[in-house]
Amino acid sequence: MLAIEARDVTKTFRAGWIRRRQTEALRGVSLAVPRGAIVGILGPNGAGKTTLLSIFASLLIPDRGTVTILGHDVVRDATALRRRLNMASGRPSFLWSLRVGEIVAFYGRLYGLHGATLKRRVDELIETFELTAYRRAQYNELSTGLKQRLALAKALVNEPELLFLDEPTLGLDPDVSVRVRAHVASLRRERGMTIVLTTHYMREAEELCDEIAFIKGGRILAHGTADDLKRQIGLGDVIALRVEPRAAWLQTAPGVVRCAESDGWIECTVDDAEKRLPEMLRQLLAEGRTVKSVQVKEPELEEVFVELAR
Amino acid sequence: MVAVWAFAIRNLLMATRNVFFFFELLFWPIVGVVSIGLMTRFLELRSEATAFVLLGTIALSVVQVCQLEVAYAVLFDVWSKSVKHQFLAPIGVRHLTLGSWIVGMARGVVIFLILAVLGWWAFGVNVLAPGVGAVLAFLAGCFLTAWIVGVGVCALITLFGNRAEAFAWASANLVLLLAGIYYPISVLPAPVAAVAACIPLTHFLDAYRAHYGFASEFSHPVAIGFGLAAVYALVAHLALVAAVRHARGSGLLLKMSE
Repeated sequence: MLAIEARDVTKTFRAGWIRRRQTEALRGVSLAVPRGAIVGILGPNGAGKTTLLSIFASLLIPDRGTVTILGHDVVRDATALRRRLNMASGRPSFLWSLRVGEIVAFYGRLYGLHGATLKRRVDELIETFELTAYRRAQYNELSTGLKQRLALAKALVNEPELLFLDEPTLGLDPDVSVRVRAHVASLRRERGMTIVLTTHYMREAEELCDEIAFIKGGRILAHGTADDLKRQIGLGDVIALRVEPRAAWLQTAPGVVRCAESDGWIECTVDDAEKRLPEMLRQLLAEGRTVKSVQVKEPELEEVFVELAR
Repeated sequence: MVAVWAFAIRNLLMATRNVFFFFELLFWPIVGVVSIGLMTRFLELRSEATAFVLLGTIALSVVQVCQLEVAYAVLFDVWSKSVKHQFLAPIGVRHLTLGSWIVGMARGVVIFLILAVLGWWAFGVNVLAPGVGAVLAFLAGCFLTAWIVGVGVCALITLFGNRAEAFAWASANLVLLLAGIYYPISVLPAPVAAVAACIPLTHFLDAYRAHYGFASEFSHPVAIGFGLAAVYALVAHLALVAAVRHARGSGLLLKMSE
């Protein structure tokens, strides 16, 4: 079952008096998000991440293409769909004079909650996001971290089946980021919520996401699990060895893409470490060399990002 | 209905936390009535003419206060850059305009009563003399006019963003010029008078002033006023719906957000 099925979505922004300045934000994006998954949308600034997320959230109408969210057409059935989704962003903004409890209650009412149900829901969210001490604080008195937590509380007020998070840990202290990530993971684990998030933090994407779509210039360049992406990009694994005496042949060994030496280590990037390491060790030992240390390193997602963003 | 109350409560909370709330609610309307009232004394106007002018001033104050509150439906979110959150929710534009209108009407009633007392005490004009039915019809006309102007302002802001904010403050003055606030519309040049006759408030003022002995310029002014108001209210509502849809297409909705 798919939560999101987008086909050939395009979006061009036009500006200026006669709308001559055009920016192609999305150029034929297709993406499928399974129900209950956490999917990350990664890409450099201006890649189209927020545009795509906004189309999914029915805040933006695509120029072409179809988007089906939870079985609803995102343009035709937008009102019915909006009951079932919500969104929080990394730079939240709410009415400056309203208090924390009032903000959550206001959005709760927009989703039809009232009376005891509304009160219970507001209390629950304020407690979950550790906002009890700030319940009567006005929005403009809150720190960035508290605003972020409030944005998440607001985004859960309607118990959405699908949650969009636009850079949810942007500008947060590391300890707060860890807590926000833990909340996001628990939403999927405990409620089976489908979550689509954009982020600039590779660690966040690798830690949280089942699948990652890499978008650049309005096109999805790669899509899959973090491991899939690493394989697709062909960065390979890195085998680092300390060998005595030095084995020059390692640079030209089968499966080796490149080699570099430093501080007594020789680091060979290979197509598949599982296959190449035993071969290397066998030959080194057969030649009577001493293998002092061996390390196998998988490429970081950050390297995939750098490679794709190039 | 819950969503309508959400906006009403929100506007009320914002109003009570704004130190300029009482200033905005009382200062300009009172200054308007006092200065115009004193001018009528200086010009030695008959009591009927004084009533004519003061009724117009009071009507303008009620319309201004109420239309501004309706415009707040969008302005609050534009100022706080939180526009997208309300349009992400499963609500229609009617919820946000109606909710704000309820608070606008409450403020309008308060200012009407204060100005009525002031007009009676300072200038001997009994604004409530025509009776409950006439007062209610007059206020309904003022509030409908305010709703139309306010929703129109919301549509312009949604269409053009912050650049259109000036309309929120200036739009009621157009009503002042055309709807016969300080003079009967018969003094206007014929083409302008024709435009004035298309404004609902012109008819409601005409009907109310008839209770003070001024010959009505229209036949069935209240019915025509409500008829015009119903048409414009529908047009204003559809304009806002179209503006929101356009903003979803152009991306302005996002630009006005975080």
